[in-house]
Amino acid sequence: MGATETRMEQLGISLQQTDWRGKGTVEAVFAGDLLYLSAHYPVDEMGNPVYVGRVGGEIDEQTAYQAARLCGLNMLRTIQSYVGSLDRVDYFVKALCLVNSAGDFYNMPPVMNGFSDLMVEIFGHRGQHARAAMGAYVLEGNMPVCVDAIVRIRR
Amino acid sequence: MVQHFPKYKPLIPIREVDGVVYVSGHGPEDINTYEPLYRGRVGAELSVDEGYQAAAECAKTLFRAVQERYGSLDCIRHMVRALALVNCAEGFQTPEKVADGFSDTCVEILQERGQHARTVMGTRNMPNHNIPVEVEMIFVLSDAYRNIGKGNKDGTV
Repeated sequence: MGATETRMEQLGISLQQTDWRGKGTVEAVFAGDLLYLSAHYPVDEMGNPVYVGRVGGEIDEQTAYQAARLCGLNMLRTIQSYVGSLDRVDYFVKALCLVNSAGDFYNMPPVMNGFSDLMVEIFGHRGQHARAAMGAYVLEGNMPVCVDAIVRIRR
Repeated sequence: MVQHFPKYKPLIPIREVDGVVYVSGHGPEDINTYEPLYRGRVGAELSVDEGYQAAAECAKTLFRAVQERYGSLDCIRHMVRALALVNCAEGFQTPEKVADGFSDTCVEILQERGQHARTVMGTRNMPNHNIPVEVEMIFVLSDAYRNIGKGNKDGTV
């Protein structure tokens, strides 16, 4: 603590400290040319879940496919807000896709094609990516799917 | 043909690649003995608050690993990404509240440098006698700290 702070303490003046709690996560972070995206969920513009439930339970495979597509659309919105135009997307690198799976549901890849198909529809070869699709036991808000990704951005 | 490599410990806590540092998944463990400080699933053996504390311990364990390697947390230019695994009991549906313990600790220590992209996943089984949380992270290294500190045993950084 500097002399000024000591003086302020003597005077009984204290400054309010920033409360950082709850500000730890952001939607995306750059590391060089790579944009690392947080997990994106099937939510509407207000952040409310559009799909709720486990895949293979309350949610069937086709609905989950649509949910995965919505994750992708939300992700594109984030990318756009970070880099301006989606033209700046050089290519997708990798995606980690989590499926909130009911007891005996094992078909994660077809569900996550909802995300991957969207990216290839929009970006062609640039939308192709390495992918891991896995079943999770619990996801935030009991939503059926979530996707995070690493995307390379053009300078 | 199976190739035989020298028997080094296959896991290393830190790998540095072109100024980006990948840190292994760490649980809420005692630094020296690796004895877990918390055990059990959140929502059963542990409450959400205890899970939050456990996640905060994960952050401390991770930062301790970074500090051991580079000498100071000044080496973190900014954090990039964290993957948090939360050991959930039947019916527990808010793993993100547990992972907030990690994220809050990061920003309390590093402020805006501690902000990161995050993925939270609820799982069912975890290593080291069923620890409640495990977190791995990626951060960007300050230039001054590049390629310093003790390397790994195989000579790589």
